[in-house]
Amino acid sequence: MSGDSLPFPLPFQKFAADSCEATTLYHELRKPLLRYLSGLGLSADDAQDAVQDAFLRLHKHLVAGGSQENIRGWLFRVVHNDARNRQQSYDRRFGQSFDPDFDLISAGATPEQAVIEKEKLRRLGNAMRSLSNAEQECLLLRAGGLRYREIAEVLDISTSTVGETVERAIRKLAEKCNV
Amino acid sequence: MCDVSGKLVAWMDGELTENEAADVEQHVRDCSGCRNRVEAYGEVSRLVVTYCDAAAATRPRRKLPRWVPALAGAVALAALLVFIFRPTVVKPMPIVARAADRAPASVPEAGSTPIKVKAKTVHRRHEGVTRRNPNTDWAFADPAFQIVIPAEAMFAPGALPEGTFFRADLSMASDGSVQGLRLLQ
Repeated sequence: MSGDSLPFPLPFQKFAADSCEATTLYHELRKPLLRYLSGLGLSADDAQDAVQDAFLRLHKHLVAGGSQENIRGWLFRVVHNDARNRQQSYDRRFGQSFDPDFDLISAGATPEQAVIEKEKLRRLGNAMRSLSNAEQECLLLRAGGLRYREIAEVLDISTSTVGETVERAIRKLAEKCNV
Repeated sequence: MCDVSGKLVAWMDGELTENEAADVEQHVRDCSGCRNRVEAYGEVSRLVVTYCDAAAATRPRRKLPRWVPALAGAVALAALLVFIFRPTVVKPMPIVARAADRAPASVPEAGSTPIKVKAKTVHRRHEGVTRRNPNTDWAFADPAFQIVIPAEAMFAPGALPEGTFFRADLSMASDGSVQGLRLLQ
């Protein structure tokens, strides 16, 4: 499944004025959600499944008359919990997380640039693994485009803690990656 | 380390109040160290996004679950044990029919088709027939073999003239064992 189209009609008549807005929401959030899940170590297939499941749960949530406030944070919270369950299962089955294939993102670069970029990403991957879970999650949710307030809601921590954690995580990565 | 260094990322992310952001902006303009940090943090932020995108596009080469090799080994071992210790089928010893003309006892040739004793002979004792004399009436109406017994096998040497022998009818049970023997006159 490519994941580019909605897997089911979303009941956004209340939430959105028309179906175009629902589709926009899906297209807007799908990639950040996938990015967050992949950064946590889920495989591409598991990440796709988790995103589909999250939108299915959103469908049920809205049909049941659930809150329509901060849908973005709600979706990230759902995939965050799902990711933790899937990751534990994945680790049990396969022992360890996989390494991303950096050749996929080097298209268009010169060979020298590609080599340098891949080396940076390899070092970043190693540095990411040395971060605490909270630091990783804050960093990845930030990479997913969430504001600190939204990250705080997803992780159920204070906004100031999010700021401190993100700052600390970025500083660690910069030191370890020597950029 | 500058005082504002703990707010650089929040400033880059637009998470500071207007006054805080103005202070940090002014400091970064004047401090080359913090300018370098902002540049490095921006590069790290870009790499994190790129790293996640690469991970999202990667199809992992899934390793076999740990139990698969163990299961394969157990199946192979079980198959080997079954092959080595496979149950053997015990075939009952064929019962050779009596020669029709009461020929002297002979060993059936290898490969010859054994002929089963007629059911009449085998089950006669179980048919509830009242026997007048169990010692003489059993099975010898249809003996399987006729054998020759040298006198030396039955009597002390010299008790009978040399070369004396006895003939006897031999009756076989259905499992191949000797059921009875009767000396012939």
